[in-house]
Amino acid sequence: MKTWFTILFGTLLLTCSLAVLAQPQGQPPAAKTPASAVHKKSKTNDGEQRFQANCGRCHTPPEAISPREVKAVLQHMRVRAMLSAEDEKLILKYLAP
Amino acid sequence: MKRILGALIVLLGIGTRVCSQSDVPILSGALAFNTSTTAGATSFVPTLAPVLVAPFGDHWLVEGRADLQGFFAQQNGTSGPYNGRFFATFDYAQLDYIANPHLTITVGRFLTPFNIYNERFSAIWIANLQDSPIIFTIGTRTSSASNGGMLRGVLVERPNWLLNYTAYFSVASTTENLQAGRAAGGRIGMFMPNAGIEVGASYQRFLQNGDFNVAGTYFAWQPPQIPLDVRAEYAHSPGGQGYWLEGAMHIAKSRSTTTWLGRLQTVARVQQFFKGTPIPQDVLPAADVNQFDFGLNYYLAHDVRLNGSYGRQYSSLGNANIWNVQIAYRFLFPAWPGEHK
Repeated sequence: MKTWFTILFGTLLLTCSLAVLAQPQGQPPAAKTPASAVHKKSKTNDGEQRFQANCGRCHTPPEAISPREVKAVLQHMRVRAMLSAEDEKLILKYLAP
Repeated sequence: MKRILGALIVLLGIGTRVCSQSDVPILSGALAFNTSTTAGATSFVPTLAPVLVAPFGDHWLVEGRADLQGFFAQQNGTSGPYNGRFFATFDYAQLDYIANPHLTITVGRFLTPFNIYNERFSAIWIANLQDSPIIFTIGTRTSSASNGGMLRGVLVERPNWLLNYTAYFSVASTTENLQAGRAAGGRIGMFMPNAGIEVGASYQRFLQNGDFNVAGTYFAWQPPQIPLDVRAEYAHSPGGQGYWLEGAMHIAKSRSTTTWLGRLQTVARVQQFFKGTPIPQDVLPAADVNQFDFGLNYYLAHDVRLNGSYGRQYSSLGNANIWNVQIAYRFLFPAWPGEHK
């Protein structure tokens, strides 16, 4: 029995390790963008990044969230998933600009 | 239960009058049908788990989740006609006051914040495998919910890490559908968003059945570059201790579920439980248990998910095969109609 679990444990760890190693290290460098454009996009990008980093921790996002639902969803997630106030603000801007 | 439901409806009614268009309550949750075969005994479990969330301004929130479930199984386990019944429980019904960026005060019935499976991964539309881990009842015994008060929030936030906390107290309740244990406890966690790592530890003092301490720790890792989720928990109580480790991966280069391959997710979980000193009314297994599970999840369009899993359990009380198949539909819509802004 112990052998079984050692094998399973090892397989799982090996799979995880290989999966990580198989990916390119880091993101490809982004194309250069004028500073003004970067400034305009930064808030949206922040919101998108926070959305992906926080919401995807537990589940795939629903297929659609209407702007009317966003506030209730985010307040619920702030309590349930410990979103910070800053996360809530930026994700709200991203989902309901 | 009727009183709580009544209070929620009254609060919602008041809310419709005093709150703005942006304070629209939502009705979310899932409708699911699960069939499970454990050691040859098959059961069918239809479930409706509605979640109601009603914000009142920027600081107040009323939220609740019910679990309306049926359970149908053969009369003698593996033979005889199928019998069943329906039952309903309140998973939580709570009032939240978001006081400031560091503090939220919760009163009512809430999910016991011991480790993270109960609060974050146990919902039927979220769990990668439909069976809860064996150690699930350590720290969440009686009903997985607490009746009382809770403080929680983000203690410190920095660009690369965030520290959060929870502290709670619960009174004992044997009221039907609202069971809870008398307990006090807390949890502290750290989330590193850039690395996708979350770690934390929980402590609970269970204040009935002889008073005892329960402790646990958890780890979750979601590397940003690949669609892999690793989750693990360890929990210890005088009645026993154990851990589970789960890996789930989409068969695609990203988490996007727009391609048929990207919609497919493989899951594997290993867990071990080591029996301690029996505790009165304990719901932990009566012997050491080792178990592994493999599963396949397929994310269909319109928030429908298909799950299938096979597990093998090893115990001195008897080994068993565990098969699960489930279809779940997750819904989310405003609690009443209105214009899209």
